[in-house]
Amino acid sequence: MRKKPRFHSLKKLKVRQDWSRWTLYNLFKLSPPNLSARTYFQQKWTAKSDTRAYHGEQIREKQWKRLFRRTLPAVVPMDHKYLARYDGSEQAAGRGAGADSQEKARMPPMTPYMQMTYFPIERRLDTAVFRALFASSVRQARQFVCHGLVKVNGKKIIYPGYMLNPGDVFQVEPDSVMTATGAQKTRSAAARRKAREKGQAHAESIKGVGPIKIPSIKVPLLADSATGTTSTPKAATPLSTETEPAPEELKRHLQSLMTDVEAVLAEEVKAKNKQKLRDFRQTVRKAISLWKRSTPGEVSTLESQLSFLKSHITKSATSSSAPSDANPQLSRDEEAKLQNAFDRLKEQAEYDANWNKRDPSKPYLTPWRPRDYMSAFAFIPRYLEVNQNICAAVYLRHPVARPGLAEVPTPFSYETGQLAFNWYLRRR
Amino acid sequence: MPPRLRSPNFPCAATSSPSIRSQPTAHRSRASREFSQTTCQHATLRRRRFYDWLNGHGSLLKEPLPGSTNYLGAYDRYGNLVRAPPGWTRKTQEEEVKVEEPKTDEAEAEPDKETPEGQEAVDELEMAVRREEEKNKDTRKQKDDDKLPPETAEDLRPFPLNKHFRSQPVLSEELREAIYRRVARDGASVSLASVEFGVSNERVGAVVRLKQIEKEWIAQGKKLALPYAKAVLAMVPTTPYIDPSLPSNKGKRPITHEAINDLIVHPATRQQLFVPVSESRQFTRVDAGKAFDNDLLPADDRIPHPELVQAERDIASGLSLQQRRQLAEERMEQELERKKQIELKRQEALKRVKTVSGRRWDFVFEDVSVESVGRDGRSAKGVGWRYGFPHEDRKKGQVKIPTKVEA
Repeated sequence: MRKKPRFHSLKKLKVRQDWSRWTLYNLFKLSPPNLSARTYFQQKWTAKSDTRAYHGEQIREKQWKRLFRRTLPAVVPMDHKYLARYDGSEQAAGRGAGADSQEKARMPPMTPYMQMTYFPIERRLDTAVFRALFASSVRQARQFVCHGLVKVNGKKIIYPGYMLNPGDVFQVEPDSVMTATGAQKTRSAAARRKAREKGQAHAESIKGVGPIKIPSIKVPLLADSATGTTSTPKAATPLSTETEPAPEELKRHLQSLMTDVEAVLAEEVKAKNKQKLRDFRQTVRKAISLWKRSTPGEVSTLESQLSFLKSHITKSATSSSAPSDANPQLSRDEEAKLQNAFDRLKEQAEYDANWNKRDPSKPYLTPWRPRDYMSAFAFIPRYLEVNQNICAAVYLRHPVARPGLAEVPTPFSYETGQLAFNWYLRRR
Repeated sequence: MPPRLRSPNFPCAATSSPSIRSQPTAHRSRASREFSQTTCQHATLRRRRFYDWLNGHGSLLKEPLPGSTNYLGAYDRYGNLVRAPPGWTRKTQEEEVKVEEPKTDEAEAEPDKETPEGQEAVDELEMAVRREEEKNKDTRKQKDDDKLPPETAEDLRPFPLNKHFRSQPVLSEELREAIYRRVARDGASVSLASVEFGVSNERVGAVVRLKQIEKEWIAQGKKLALPYAKAVLAMVPTTPYIDPSLPSNKGKRPITHEAINDLIVHPATRQQLFVPVSESRQFTRVDAGKAFDNDLLPADDRIPHPELVQAERDIASGLSLQQRRQLAEERMEQELERKKQIELKRQEALKRVKTVSGRRWDFVFEDVSVESVGRDGRSAKGVGWRYGFPHEDRKKGQVKIPTKVEA
């Protein structure tokens, strides 16, 4: 029997509907069709085979031929002000093509009808699930549907070929979506070793010199962001000084603490990156560890850390009779800032603890992060309205062409689309 | 990939990233078994090139670019980010400290320049979104040399070869929430919310429905896919929400998300038509519609928001604000009356059928007529089993996939 051809071959570059690195490479390698020195039939054949490898590769040719429509949908965005001001007779003025005018009228861009050849496929449930970014490939989306993980209008639909009607809501199980779009768990020994090395390098870069190994390998960056963890490298550092620190040192540390507070507060509310919060946490630990008999392990929760800092700073300010400039003092607004920074920290920690915590029982890598190369493929076409929080989407309308834009996402050039359309036009 | 022109002061994103040699694949010396059917274990030239690309240019696409989209179309052939300013260096997830914020100080262009056919330019709408975004961020006035300017239409192409497709912005989380509040809480009609937010009618309805489901989930204590939502919305371009209640947004118009007055190209208008008319005749859109098809209405009535045209006409005719408001209210009442009639009719039709709810399905009793089978007794509208007319549902080629699912 003839060997089945590879799905992702480097010999024959075919763009597939998935988020793999091969697809990305093939997209990069894709070139416009060679129109010279080839017969029209050859051109059409190549265009058909290339486009069909991407569009509805999972459905049989005969099925697709039945779906094919030669009339392609399009819309024209109208301007209501223009419609109110003119009744259209000005376009028939003069000799029937509008009166002559001095300035050259700006023509709207061409409507790319020929990129819409495969618009009926976008109506299929499996393709829509893939386009809504709920699955990393159409085949996976198809599996989700077949396994009963997709609901349409609240009813389980197990047919990947179900043609969505405008207004249909489809929902996918959030856990499956997060498995499909999230980074994979590292299972092999080599991968685990690599992750461990990476984690070590990161820990060293944070501390400068850090011989202590972090036991949690998979998530070295976020292991300390959950509340109440005490297994951070700082906690393990031995306390060298058991005495009250010098006021100069205290002041220096307080200054660094306050600069960190500033940095945290300057951050957006969303706090897309956690580096600042992590740094702030480190400095807080450092400041606390200066006082005797108080390891950061003892004051692990955020509230206790804050109260500890406050009390000690005010106490040292009142008790010491040293000159005031050497004294670490907290003014009222500084205290408020500190409070704010701690609130921000708490918010982040709560988010991590509630929504994105480490959970070995999940089939995906936790804390969740998007899988590799996802950003290069992440787009949501306009005919879908997606709510990512509940992993549900509405199929608003059929995809249309409009001046300058075609809504069917196809990686091929206009000429290829034209040739493929012409291939399916024959015998019709 | 077609060559993309680089900006004159091009950065070297690819060269600044550590250049990695091709991945060491298993180099096994060729076995003496020339007859072997197993594939060659050598790293072929193609595979080497693939890994070279993947470790060089491809590595830039592996992780999302913080605060921006990261599509293949934004890079040139050598893996340089085309829109990046000269001093810009890409930061990895660990060392990236601040959110990338684009800055430029362009004046905001008016998006509603009239095109000859009275069409709205979609590109202009989208550019307005991005300009507004950058303006918002510009107000913060953070001085930093490594910031990315906003994406152009070319940078938003996930498929560099297809010039007619680009990643269009989606609604941001705040905008969705605002639309939901406006419709569900304030009780605004869908078309009103559509005009206010610059979002199409269907999308407003969809947002409200999805938000409703989301609130139900929250009430039930179901777990939302928050990390996923965060990551996706950071990867795709979004339309921000301009909160009019904030003092900083005073005098700002809401950003138009999409063209709300899309006219569907009617099949009858696909052909070119030559209609001789006398020179003196005023040949309007209504006449043009009649020429194509007797039932074809003019564009003024077929667009989703005909009330906007009416309002604009009232302004043009020089009516005072009082009169215009009165007219608008009258029209609104008429519309409500029409809707009420339709609803009444539906209720009456429902009364005519008797429904008995079963365990899985409802039994619906409705009046049928023997005549519905048609003259030859073979009409599809006929009900029940008919003598000599076998059921076809076990025949080959009968598709069992449902064509619609009741909401």
